[in-house]
Amino acid sequence: MPKLTVNGKTIEVPEGTNLIEAAKVAGVEVPHYCYHPALSIAGQCRLCMVDIEKLPRPQIACNTQAAEGMVVETETPRVKDTRRSMMEFHLINHPLDCPVCDQAGECFLQIYYMKHGLYDPRMVDEKVHKPKAVPLGPHVILDAERCILCSRCVRYCDEVTHTGELGIFQRGDHSEIGLFPGKALENKYSGNVIDICPVGALTDRDFRFKVRVWYLDTAKSVCNGCARGCNIEVHTNKHRSHHNEGRRVARLKPRFNPDVNKWWICDAGRYGFRWIDDKSRLAQPMHRAGVQGAEVSWDRALQEVVALLGRYRPEEIGFLASPQMSNEDLWTLKRLADQLGVKNLDFQVPSAAPGDEDDFLIRADKNPNTRGAVLAGIAPEPGGLDAAGMLRAAGEKRLKLLWIFHHDLAASTWPEAQVLAALDGAETVIFQGTSANDASTRAHLVLPSAAYVEREGTFTNFQGRVQRFRTAVQPLGASWPDWMILSFVGKALGFQDPVFAAERAEQVFNALAGGAPPFAGMTYRAIGDAGAMVKA
Amino acid sequence: MAEKIFTRNFHLTDSHTLARYKETGGYTALAKALTMEPAAITEEVKKANLRGLGGAAFPTGVKWGFIPKASTAPRYLVINADEGEPGTFKDRYLMERDPHALLEGMVIAARAIGSHQGFIYIRGEYVQPWRVLDAAVREAYAAGLLGKNIQGSGTDFDIVLHRGAGAYICGEETGLLSSLEGKKGWPKIKPPFPAVKGAFGNPTIVNNVETIMAVPHIINRGAEWFAGLGTKSQGGTRLYSVSGHVEKPGVVEAPVSVTLRQLIYEHCGGIRGGRKLKGVVPGGSSAAILTPDEIDIPMDADGPKSKGSMIGSAGVIVMDETVSIPEALMVVARFYAHESCGQCTPCRESTGWIYKMTRRIVEGKGRKEDLDTILDVARRGAGTTICAFYDGAVGPYISYIEKFRSEFEDLIRSESHA
Amino acid sequence: MSDARNPEFTPEQLAEVRRLQGLYPDRRGALLPVLHLAQDTFGHISLEVEEYVAGLFGMHAAHVHEVVTFYTLFFQKPKGRHVVSVCHNISCYLMNAKGIIQHLGERLGVEPGETTPDGRITFLTVECLCACEQAPMMQVDDRYEGNLTNEKVDRILDGLR
Repeated sequence: MPKLTVNGKTIEVPEGTNLIEAAKVAGVEVPHYCYHPALSIAGQCRLCMVDIEKLPRPQIACNTQAAEGMVVETETPRVKDTRRSMMEFHLINHPLDCPVCDQAGECFLQIYYMKHGLYDPRMVDEKVHKPKAVPLGPHVILDAERCILCSRCVRYCDEVTHTGELGIFQRGDHSEIGLFPGKALENKYSGNVIDICPVGALTDRDFRFKVRVWYLDTAKSVCNGCARGCNIEVHTNKHRSHHNEGRRVARLKPRFNPDVNKWWICDAGRYGFRWIDDKSRLAQPMHRAGVQGAEVSWDRALQEVVALLGRYRPEEIGFLASPQMSNEDLWTLKRLADQLGVKNLDFQVPSAAPGDEDDFLIRADKNPNTRGAVLAGIAPEPGGLDAAGMLRAAGEKRLKLLWIFHHDLAASTWPEAQVLAALDGAETVIFQGTSANDASTRAHLVLPSAAYVEREGTFTNFQGRVQRFRTAVQPLGASWPDWMILSFVGKALGFQDPVFAAERAEQVFNALAGGAPPFAGMTYRAIGDAGAMVKA
Repeated sequence: MAEKIFTRNFHLTDSHTLARYKETGGYTALAKALTMEPAAITEEVKKANLRGLGGAAFPTGVKWGFIPKASTAPRYLVINADEGEPGTFKDRYLMERDPHALLEGMVIAARAIGSHQGFIYIRGEYVQPWRVLDAAVREAYAAGLLGKNIQGSGTDFDIVLHRGAGAYICGEETGLLSSLEGKKGWPKIKPPFPAVKGAFGNPTIVNNVETIMAVPHIINRGAEWFAGLGTKSQGGTRLYSVSGHVEKPGVVEAPVSVTLRQLIYEHCGGIRGGRKLKGVVPGGSSAAILTPDEIDIPMDADGPKSKGSMIGSAGVIVMDETVSIPEALMVVARFYAHESCGQCTPCRESTGWIYKMTRRIVEGKGRKEDLDTILDVARRGAGTTICAFYDGAVGPYISYIEKFRSEFEDLIRSESHA
Repeated sequence: MSDARNPEFTPEQLAEVRRLQGLYPDRRGALLPVLHLAQDTFGHISLEVEEYVAGLFGMHAAHVHEVVTFYTLFFQKPKGRHVVSVCHNISCYLMNAKGIIQHLGERLGVEPGETTPDGRITFLTVECLCACEQAPMMQVDDRYEGNLTNEKVDRILDGLR
């Protein structure tokens, strides 16, 4: 482990560490464009120059390995002047697009110019013109004039997705990023090039012109699109509701996690947030008397739930939970079922969606918390019915109360006739979920759930990693977290289990940790931002 | 009369054939080298003070020693026949008239560095030289001078002749290797250096055509003889390509102690039409221009350096009093803008910009800030790039303006704008 | 009919491609030689030729396109029966390349970079061909022609069918 000095501070780093990473360890930022820890070294931008004792000229930090006794200075007058030179070189042909460029506010030409440039421009000749606003694929749009030819996107498509769509054509200042003519950037991870592009050359078609980034708030979360649980940031627009038609969630960005998704997210996950602000969201409890639903208050809705639970015998009640629910939601449900003596409890509804899976990030299971559901004990008690059994029993009128959580049964592989028979056969159907669907329109009582971005909680991914998601926006309308709805029910039924008195998700999680051995000893604090593994 | 080494066969009919080459002592050096230890061959070349004759003037024997001793990976000998430096044409002559000297030198060099695979990278435009070389390679294979068990020595050496496709940057050592690998001619970031990790990731030595052709002579007649022909900084003779405003342009072989004045006035007949010298570039277009009072220098690795220029490819470009230096700079700037590979930012962006500025000056639309802008931008980029191409551009950018500044200013003054 | 729109090498040519690929430690080293072969066979390197060659190397087409657009000797559009490339670099510039280029432009009726309407000649200006001792000079197909005068240029053009 070589020991070296960076700006006077002595540090120790693993063999083979380059000076950009070594400087990070010393708390020093070395500005750069083409370097990315996930990709091969390009050494093209020349911005990461640093001074190294005994060497006559500044060296690029990305391609220099830390060596024992090395003395590195990143803030000498010479290094600062070199950075100023490099900023000028980068901006010679760069178009003055800031007023119309989505990258403004998070653009590293802007950021580094303000930190390391601040010179008076002297380029008065005609700049090189290249294609602008070129869609490369369904998600990415290219502006070749803005491109600084750092080649991150080309290396990404070669080294990470192995799809090789992008290249740098021609030479000199006519060099241009592009696709083979006629082809498209269509791999399932295409959106990541938007993140790694330091400038506004590759931008997001979905996000284009929607809202300026300095109006966005950010919250750490976990994607709910499949069982991997890629770590994300949810970017929300709360301050400019006249932008983007009032949608609150503006975009999702991947968050680095070395054990789950590294720097990446698939396109389905990246763009899987439109439902959150869609018109189909359920925002109020509803009582369906006849064809039109009538909104009711929570008091009224909860009263009705309590009455329903009292009316039927435990063996006439079925809880169809969902692996979309958090660990906290599922544990509260489990405790409720136990207290009620309800043995018909399950979460497994076979999905008709193509369970595509690859050897990168995408999992066939499109639910974020299947593992959590298993570990929380969401399964029928001996003698109880599983999901298919509940469906059959409801159709045969043996199951009187069917409480469906989140599932869009029409999207399952269960025959439509059987689903309709179950929904019609059960005397009472309660639907609790975020969005209206076939089942919710046939339910007698609809309870609106808060979406995962509207609350906090945890999911357990397929590897057994428990990961926290945090509140990004307030619950829509009168929607509540599932665990909160269930704990109010439990309290109203008079159950003493402390989980029904919980006021925060963390309290429920602590109860889960106390009650389910795989989660023993876990706390929100220990889970942190990187997650923690359940006990095997 | 100075000794002719490189050009000794040029005047002979069929000088390019194996039969003629053998008549004049060809392949005797190889026979001798095959009995020598590889390290001994390298030592001779070091003692001969042979410097790279393609442009960088690096000591050849030292370069051969850079391959890591412990490496068991296959080593490659790559010949840089991508002659492209403006003002240079000597390799073309060598390949067309004495190709077997190149092949013989290659086999000896290969033995020295432990290589069994050679590549000759020849620029795509050199179609006739390629055909001559190809025929020579076939002759050599047929005669057992290439391939397996050369001359019964147990040594194997194969040569692949590889044509380029039109890019000056493929004359840069690692740009050439990238192109050899089937990619764009993008120079590689260093470290690692080619001797450690070169063509296809294996240890590689890249040498210029002319450099390798000195090797058989060094082996046959000894390092001391070769070193003694030259100066303290460089041994031997070399070929000077002289062009431009001289009476007799062409290839001149002379000891490296020859002065620039002698080359122009004694070897090439002086300035055409009896005119006066205005400026001369001593080492290909990438070398800084020299004024008439700077030409009494030996044309070795150190002579032009003493005047702030370089010997480079020894391409001597002579300009007389009729030349517009600003226009000449525009022509040169256009070349660098056209040939920039585009990989790294300082070169890619500023070669085009500087060309635009020189053109604007020549067209009479120059601004008074332009000259200092060009000088400042060039200085800021020098030494910051992946390869020395940009430094080669900086040579003319700075020297033409600094040494002939008033001529530029006249153009800017003559059509003054606010 | 195999051409730049529907490129297909003959079995002999495919054998040559494989032989060339075998000469290099990584077969990609044969890309330039095979592109030269393709251009000689199909006339120019169209996008179809690029994809065809990419297939022969197991490469992504984008990376073949990178190579083809980088080098000046690969023609992406059909060229004339003859290619006349006049050097306009420094030594030829010193020896009146400008005049030769102007004369050629007038004789051929096209600008540098263009092909005559009858498809006979593609006229280019190029950087140093390293024949400065014969400046001003040009490359006509495979050979160099130097020490040009307007009259010599005319004689050479007359010989090109």
